[in-house]
Amino acid sequence: MPEITGFSFPNDIHVTWSLMIVMYPYITGFVAGSFIVTSLYHLFDRQEFKPVARLAMATSFAFLLVASLPLQLHLGQPQRGPFVIITPNFTSAMAGFGILYSFYMLVLVLELWFVWRQEIIERARRSRGMKRALYAALALGTYDTSAEAIEIDHKAIKILAGIGLPAACMLHGYVGFIFGAIKANPWWSTPLMPVIFLLSAAVSGIALLILLYQVYAKLDRRPVVATCVQALASWLWFFLILTITLEELELIVMAYEKSESWLIISELLTTRLSFSYVTMQMIVGGLIPLILLAVVVLMNRYLHEKVRNTLATVAAFLTLIQVFSMRWNIVIGGQLLSKSLRGLRSPYEPEIFGREGVLMAIALFVAPFVILWVFDRVLGIEEPPGADGHGNPPAAPPPVEATAASHVP
Amino acid sequence: MEHGKHVFRIVILVAVILAVVLLARGFLVPKTYGLYGRYRGANVAQQMDARPVLHGGAAACGECHSDQATKRAAGSHRTVSCEICHAPLGAHILADGAVVKPPIDRSFTLCARCHRKVAARPAKFPQVDLDQHVNGPVEGKVCLECHDPHSPKP
Amino acid sequence: MSDCHDGCNGSRREFLSGTLKLAGGAVVTVIGASALASSSSSPTRAPRPGGGEYDWDEHLWAYLVDTTKCIGCGSCARACKAENDVPEGFFRTWIERYVVGTEDSHVDSPNGGMDGFPPVQVGFVANKSFFVPKICNHCRATPCTQVCPVGASYRTKDGAVLVDAESCIGCGYCVQACPYGSRFIHPATHTASKCTWCYHRITKGLKPACVTVCPTQARQFGDLKKDGDPVRAVVEHDRVQILQGHLLTEPQCYYTHLDKEVR
Repeated sequence: MPEITGFSFPNDIHVTWSLMIVMYPYITGFVAGSFIVTSLYHLFDRQEFKPVARLAMATSFAFLLVASLPLQLHLGQPQRGPFVIITPNFTSAMAGFGILYSFYMLVLVLELWFVWRQEIIERARRSRGMKRALYAALALGTYDTSAEAIEIDHKAIKILAGIGLPAACMLHGYVGFIFGAIKANPWWSTPLMPVIFLLSAAVSGIALLILLYQVYAKLDRRPVVATCVQALASWLWFFLILTITLEELELIVMAYEKSESWLIISELLTTRLSFSYVTMQMIVGGLIPLILLAVVVLMNRYLHEKVRNTLATVAAFLTLIQVFSMRWNIVIGGQLLSKSLRGLRSPYEPEIFGREGVLMAIALFVAPFVILWVFDRVLGIEEPPGADGHGNPPAAPPPVEATAASHVP
Repeated sequence: MEHGKHVFRIVILVAVILAVVLLARGFLVPKTYGLYGRYRGANVAQQMDARPVLHGGAAACGECHSDQATKRAAGSHRTVSCEICHAPLGAHILADGAVVKPPIDRSFTLCARCHRKVAARPAKFPQVDLDQHVNGPVEGKVCLECHDPHSPKP
Repeated sequence: MSDCHDGCNGSRREFLSGTLKLAGGAVVTVIGASALASSSSSPTRAPRPGGGEYDWDEHLWAYLVDTTKCIGCGSCARACKAENDVPEGFFRTWIERYVVGTEDSHVDSPNGGMDGFPPVQVGFVANKSFFVPKICNHCRATPCTQVCPVGASYRTKDGAVLVDAESCIGCGYCVQACPYGSRFIHPATHTASKCTWCYHRITKGLKPACVTVCPTQARQFGDLKKDGDPVRAVVEHDRVQILQGHLLTEPQCYYTHLDKEVR
């Protein structure tokens, strides 16, 4: 039985939305954030992001595949999950999930197909038997790699990126709306919620890619391009400033207006959420990365490459913690306070095992990286050198696997 | 143009998938959904018969227990439903007509629930400080030594 | 676009027209198929639910609580638990006790008030104290049915807000959206559950269980469409209050003599 201080409505002592509901916006945040990074290259032609563009798109896809799992695991009747598509009630933001998820999945898969089409055809030509059948099916039986076809591909990619960006933003923004539109809960009810969620998603996506880029470059034996890291760090800093400003602003306005909910919310923040909000979200995940990234951005000229990489990586890791804390503080924090505005319950302790437990959350976070690994095996994330359609100079020495097969005399 | 064949194929594939999904959805929507509003209309009738009626109301008890009913109606417990102290009707007369003796708590706990002095109760409501009201220890069926629950003295 | 050399006259036109025809055909097929397969046709006059004696068009239910009459005995909560098989630790109705002084106030509801209330000591000078029964307000503009993603929660024509336990997916959104804490996820069925105004009783001419057993008439149930109904008379002509009126949920559970401390 949870301990209650003050008075909570008798039904309010149960935390209905568990760790899985913290994981869901965390994961869709990566989906949206990664797509923002890849769109910076594919839609806005910012060349400094080219080294991570494909990795970002594959990451968005990998997390998208996992995104519906936390919801399914949380449902009281998971086998009825498809009801959201069969009989959706569109006054509910949650009903939007079916449409938004499917639509964005469609756009992303199409864009992936156009970007990776040449590799698919290349691998179809190179392989035999079952593998050849697989790649041939993926290529939809067309093997056109002429300049005109590639031109069409690029146009399609641009259009899809243009549609995909608002779709990705909607896919994560509606989650913010789910919380922001609940007038019953004063910790959630604010028009700023969808905006904060979306900016926070951008932060998490860029931070993840900073980390992934370092890891992937090492595994693939490619050099880490300094301008790319610099660009990622700059955008991360920019979005982090915006996110933290809005999060703090919301609190400042609430404290100033001192409406009836402020008393219990301030008690919530100073007692139940003091560690996760003040320490983790604001200081460890907020202030410190802000300083580290300020160094990377403002002192760029004086930094050695290794220092830049390290600072950016540490800052990125800390912001990943910040974004998780933010999700936790909103989802769990909002349920610790009772609608009576007179009571707080003891902090929620998620179970370790069980379908909504800590191990499941870890598994959900690890799964997309496994998917990325499979993706790299099947399609290869980065294009092999020389296959670039933009006339750019070939990249560093190719990975070992591709060498033996692609050297056709 | 002939270089757009692959675009053609993927558009067809997408259209086919969409058609299949929408077709499947059409078959899966419950028949009475939307009948009265955005919900499964058949549920309204289900809710009307969702459970057996358990409480009969005080008048129903009087049909068999007329003595107690008359005594109660004349005393200060006339507004106190039999089912508050005794079990609801449905736990006494079961669905198949069988008669079961319902449990009854004859201890002071039952009486104290209403009549122990609590500040939040309306001042005019009969309530007592148990320690002062009872000669001796407050335990067991001490209230019944002086009061008849069907017609307690005012 | 690449130059059109000899040999591809009108090929762009052909390509576009081909794609458009195909897309148009696909759209028509999709719409036609879904319309054909969809079996939710709304007749112009929907049949009365249940088909029996009860006609929901003739009633508009409302609940009335007089807080000056409540003695905090908890009989209502016990009756509700028995009538509706409410699981332990969850409440379809409960009673709150308020102890109010000029400096401070204290509220409690031990086990929802089901076992009555023990005397309480407070650390301030108390001027007044009273009981407030609470139930689902069956709001007319309810946020809980608004947020149900699958249409499992709805409001009947006679004013009761219900949950279709066969359609509910157990997402818990309605529980979060209710400003009054009336809802919970049933621990056994894992679907949303709440006070139904004993719909299985009121459609048979009975009153909800809580109203039936209340010894002091603190709780009353009435029909706003019935002439001479006492609850209707109070709601229409007397001063009544509702909970959290600023949220504009239009609750149909009215209170008289509600203190400002009550939320």
